[in-house]
Amino acid sequence: MNSDTQMLIRVVGPPFAGVIQQTGASPDSATLLEVFADGSVFVYSGKVEYGQGIRNSFAQMIASVLERDAEDIQVILADTARVPFDRGTTGSASTRTVGVQLAKAAEAAKAVIAKGLDPGDELGIEIVISGDEDGVAVDAFNSLTPHQGAARVDGTERVTGSAVYAHDFSLDGTAHGRLIRPPANGAKLVRLDAARAEQVPGFIQLVQVDGLIGVVAETKEAADRAASFVRARWDESGDYVSDWSMPAALNDRASEPVFLRDDGNALEGLTGAAEVISGTYYAPYVANAQMEPSAASVRWNDDGSLTVWCSNRAPFTEQAMLSSALGVDADKIRVITQEVGGSFGTKSQSVSLEAAILARESGRIVKVAYTREEEFSTSTVRPAALMEINAGVDDAGKLVAWDYTAVHAGDNAFRGRRGADSPYDAPSTRIRVADSPSPLPHGSYRSLGGAVNHFGREVHIDVIARQLGIDPLEFRLNNLSHPRYRRVLERVAEMSVWQSRPSSSSSSSGGKIGFGIAVGFDAGSYVAQIAQVSVEGSVVSVERVDVAFDCGKVFNPEGARNQIEGSVVMGLGTALWEAVEFDGGRVLSNGFGAYRVPRITDVPEISVEFIDDPADDPSGAGEPGIVPIAAAIANAVVDATGIALDRLPIEPQL
Amino acid sequence: MFRFVVDSRSTMNISINKSNHDIDANPESSLLDVLQQNLQLTGTKYGCGEGNCGACTVLVDGEATRSCITPVGSVAGRKVTTVEGLADDGQLNPVQEAFVEESAFQCGYCTPGFVISATALLSRNSAPSVGEIKSALSGHICRCGAYVRIVKAVQNAADSGGSK
Repeated sequence: MNSDTQMLIRVVGPPFAGVIQQTGASPDSATLLEVFADGSVFVYSGKVEYGQGIRNSFAQMIASVLERDAEDIQVILADTARVPFDRGTTGSASTRTVGVQLAKAAEAAKAVIAKGLDPGDELGIEIVISGDEDGVAVDAFNSLTPHQGAARVDGTERVTGSAVYAHDFSLDGTAHGRLIRPPANGAKLVRLDAARAEQVPGFIQLVQVDGLIGVVAETKEAADRAASFVRARWDESGDYVSDWSMPAALNDRASEPVFLRDDGNALEGLTGAAEVISGTYYAPYVANAQMEPSAASVRWNDDGSLTVWCSNRAPFTEQAMLSSALGVDADKIRVITQEVGGSFGTKSQSVSLEAAILARESGRIVKVAYTREEEFSTSTVRPAALMEINAGVDDAGKLVAWDYTAVHAGDNAFRGRRGADSPYDAPSTRIRVADSPSPLPHGSYRSLGGAVNHFGREVHIDVIARQLGIDPLEFRLNNLSHPRYRRVLERVAEMSVWQSRPSSSSSSSGGKIGFGIAVGFDAGSYVAQIAQVSVEGSVVSVERVDVAFDCGKVFNPEGARNQIEGSVVMGLGTALWEAVEFDGGRVLSNGFGAYRVPRITDVPEISVEFIDDPADDPSGAGEPGIVPIAAAIANAVVDATGIALDRLPIEPQL
Repeated sequence: MFRFVVDSRSTMNISINKSNHDIDANPESSLLDVLQQNLQLTGTKYGCGEGNCGACTVLVDGEATRSCITPVGSVAGRKVTTVEGLADDGQLNPVQEAFVEESAFQCGYCTPGFVISATALLSRNSAPSVGEIKSALSGHICRCGAYVRIVKAVQNAADSGGSK
């Protein structure tokens, strides 16, 4: 709150608009927006800024409604003591849930301002707004003027180094903690000797609680040194699976599949088809590898409450987790989320618990900041998956049956379900997803399993088209009646040289040129991509990617474009090189030397066009761009080389 | 392998962002740790600790240098510039300004490193080609994938007068 000046207007209401509000355990009411006598406007949201530009989007939206500059809008995010409850920043949903509601709050404030404010009003005016049962919030959102230009309200802090991330956050008097970790997931401690660590100047304490082992020292350097002198012996006899045996392990240990769809009769459809075309596809574990490793600082206050400065994607989830793990009431835990240096689906929740335990045991404020190796070795990865597809086609090139079975690693197959369904018209369609024990800690990733399922499906669609001798775009259009899928496919073909592309050619550098297309759906949005690649030996250069993107009405085109370009780049890494190597729970690729991610020299020309149909409600832009790209690149490489590809990453197969 | 628990420290004079500092540290400590821990200059980021990602890049006598693998003892008597030292009296340098204009970042964690290396590039080559820009920045990782914008921002900065 702004304590220096009188609050004039406070808008109170549910933090989310519409249906989403009714589906979860969200509170009825909280402060969403305040206008103060000095003209300042404060907006409150439980969303987290981790690179997607949500602070900027909210500031621009509110500024647009109130006819102010975005810089005048103070957006307070993800501090549990100051913002309304939120379930977490996921699913590319911030704009269409909280954003829509904040636009409505601003409309309500504006209506009061338009009537004239009494400057002598001591108490301020409280306006209560509802959720979106009546569609008013969406109307408020849809009447916003689209924002022009790319500059963000929080840009200057990023180029001057003044933006504070959890990894660099520090309070006076902070001690530093470093964890002693097992060399492999699931390894058991046999023996521990910390005698020499205790001799390190600045050593404070060795903590051993509930399987957690850590040293606390006065400085980071002392903590690093002390940890290096702790001698631990571990029993690593556990899960024997490694990255090379993972496809078989997925299959052998798969659970009974869950049916997501069972239209018509897939087996009869296949039996009656003129031709049945089958394939099995594999996608390995991949790492989020966000640039900021996880970190947290924790202070236990005199009244038994604690304050946590950390990186996370869901401050209230973090609060609940700490509450249950530490046995402290949630309302005594304040989680203050710092700037978050990337997430994409991970950001360790355990780091704040680790720091909290070390702080409790040592009686100090403790900061734990992971090394890159720790981040690679301990953070959750995108589950590996195996996809089996049997497709039946008739003589006219129409899909008559689509039988899709995916096995995703992990006991949390909801991730694997995302994007598993098929948009194609096959009257008999069966979609099944199973899980299988995961030797590595698995978790969320951009689009969850969406990008994985799309890889299998869209590569197989090309396999069918090739076998039938039909152009891959034409085959898709022949079998897709959904108008929004058709619209992005037609648009992306117009954007690229698809219709006039050479059937086979070499670039000036001597590489073989190929083109690949894929289409997808995620987070409410439709996206089609065409990739142009040049292949020389086993080196693939992605030269150009065209993207047609339909996320309904676009409020911030440059912000959305930035997200889509980022999705293409991230997906390019998974297409060509990325795979977590591991052996019996020991992660082997635990640095950027062993785990290659895209660099500036790998990046293609990327062209993005929005359908931007005002008739369609806003939908997600942060994730959908990644779902077709691996398949588009794989299809382009097959086009260039004729080599069949049935797994990721691509380069090791060439 | 047996190692002795020793902690040798010495005092080194280093110019950091145009002011002289007497730094009391182990000369083998990384320059990054000294910047972050001793001087609270946290604009320089830890990304990998092995010189692979570029987040920790600073200027040492004008050269882009990975501070995470640079022993602080090796910069004694030299001039270090961190991202905090690029703006002149609150006025962003052309690279910083262009990065803001283009939003050449998403989360911004890698940005200080990119800005430092681009500043070093423009100080020795005021009109770099796209290839030269990419080559100068190929040691940096932006996991958010803002590369297209980063190239454009550096071009814009060069057009607007480079590193002056």
